[in-house]
Amino acid sequence: MRVNPLFIAALLLAGCAGSPNSANAPANPPRLKAALEAESDGARRYGRGDYAAAARRFDEAARIHASIDDTTGAARNRLHLARSELAQGRAEAALLTLERASGDAGTALDALLLKAQAQLALDRHPAAQQSLAAAHGQCAGACPQAASLHLLQARTALAAKRAPDALAQAEAALKLLQDQDEAAETGNAWRLIAAARLAAGDAVNALPAARAALEIDRRLALPEKIARDWLLIGDIRSGVGAGDTAAAYRRALEVANAAGLDDLARLAKAALAVHDAVPQRGTP
Amino acid sequence: MSLLIQHDSDAAALRRGTRRFLFIAALATLALIVAIVVRQGMFRQVTSYSFVTDSAQDIAKGQAVRIAGFRVGAVSDVSLKDDGQVVVIMEIDADNMRFVTHDARVELRKEGLVGSPTLEIVPGPDKTRLAAAQARLVFSRADGLSALANQVRDEFVPILRDIKLITGALADPQKGLPGTLAQVRASSEALNALLANGSRQVDGIGRAATKVLGKAEEDLSQLGSTLAAANQRLPALIDRTQQVVDHVEKITAEAETSLPPTLRDGSAVTADVREIVSGAKQAWPIRNLVDAPAPARLKMDSDLRGEAGRAR
Repeated sequence: MRVNPLFIAALLLAGCAGSPNSANAPANPPRLKAALEAESDGARRYGRGDYAAAARRFDEAARIHASIDDTTGAARNRLHLARSELAQGRAEAALLTLERASGDAGTALDALLLKAQAQLALDRHPAAQQSLAAAHGQCAGACPQAASLHLLQARTALAAKRAPDALAQAEAALKLLQDQDEAAETGNAWRLIAAARLAAGDAVNALPAARAALEIDRRLALPEKIARDWLLIGDIRSGVGAGDTAAAYRRALEVANAAGLDDLARLAKAALAVHDAVPQRGTP
Repeated sequence: MSLLIQHDSDAAALRRGTRRFLFIAALATLALIVAIVVRQGMFRQVTSYSFVTDSAQDIAKGQAVRIAGFRVGAVSDVSLKDDGQVVVIMEIDADNMRFVTHDARVELRKEGLVGSPTLEIVPGPDKTRLAAAQARLVFSRADGLSALANQVRDEFVPILRDIKLITGALADPQKGLPGTLAQVRASSEALNALLANGSRQVDGIGRAATKVLGKAEEDLSQLGSTLAAANQRLPALIDRTQQVVDHVEKITAEAETSLPPTLRDGSAVTADVREIVSGAKQAWPIRNLVDAPAPARLKMDSDLRGEAGRAR
């Protein structure tokens, strides 16, 4: 690749525009700058789906912040770290990380929401409800995390077989997410709506919600969510007796295999096996 | 009367004076004779030696006899025998007999090349036995001027003979100097022709070489400019390479000491590359271009793995 000399010259001129040793220029201390760069790099990796690398960078940033007694920065990066660990399916580790992050008032609500997520992943529903109750106490009125709080409450209700309650919470969240640049949460809301409708026996109306969730997750290019969306669509099709149920499961299997998601691949294979074993209505 | 008496006393006194003078003169003459006799060695103890020679040339009675250059005696008699040999008898002071060994010989030498001849007794190597009195010693003559002339003649005659042969050979019209000169002349003519031919060829080669050298000069000029450009860029390149090498060494050192083997290949290198980039960002003037990032804000995602959609 050839670099335009004019570009280099312009770069040098721009660099020379400032004094080499300008004492008056506002500049972050090197360690703080290093911590912020590590955090920024971790965020980029998180956005690309490289959660393991992102976790390492967040951990590094948290340690640097802690070394300069910046508790806010350290807590913020521990939350990032816990989120990365959750994305990797390491809920226990996320809980431990969150315990170290607690104590900072600015991040307490986010910590509670992440804690609830980890507890739901570990099927600790009562603990999750307690965490959400505490979060609800801190989210008076319309806090920015209100939509996420509703979605987590919906997940808790769905896990407790309270489908109408779950549907209400999910629809409330979707309403809050309108005109918001929160595509992931919007997709989560549609997925919860679909699941709640399916659980409530409204499979017909569940399918458009699931497809809406699938469209969003496709746009965000999130393989795990796409695979789960296809599994949900398969379940919905199975519930309505559609003939292309197996096709949905196979799409889930293909996506899981391509993404190296072994657990999801096993789920898809099991669903396919159950579907093949059960005599299909209207199909040979 | 008294006058006669006075005359008699004077005459007596004159007679006494005359007698005293004659007595003293006789004593002085006797002492002189004794001295001359002593000086002539009349009372000296001597030993006689002899030798026989073919000729009495340069040998005479009274001739000095020396040992190591000191006069120790003289020739006392030179006589011709019946067989034509010459017998020479020498008298040597007895005190110097200790230098005359039984194998001593007598040499007739000359003082310098043309000086007076002298007889020199040369002691032999055996110092344990002395020559007996009246012993006959071996005689030899040292080479004189004529002997030297004869020796020179003997040496020069063969040389002159050889010179004659050489000059004769050189004068030979076929094998001698004239023939050789003729051959040299012919060879020089052939050599001139060869040189002329070679000169023409070298001239051709020279023109071709000039062209080649001109081209080479152009190439070298281009190479020089290329090297100059490379010389300008090389130090910076070397510095950058050195920095990279330093970082690689640092990476390796850190990998050996701090990271588990499974992470050495990937994460350590990545971390150090990141460190390199961070260091570069902090270097002037790049740091003026790169601001510290703001604290990251991750999008809310209450269902990171999509688990809410389906019972697990």
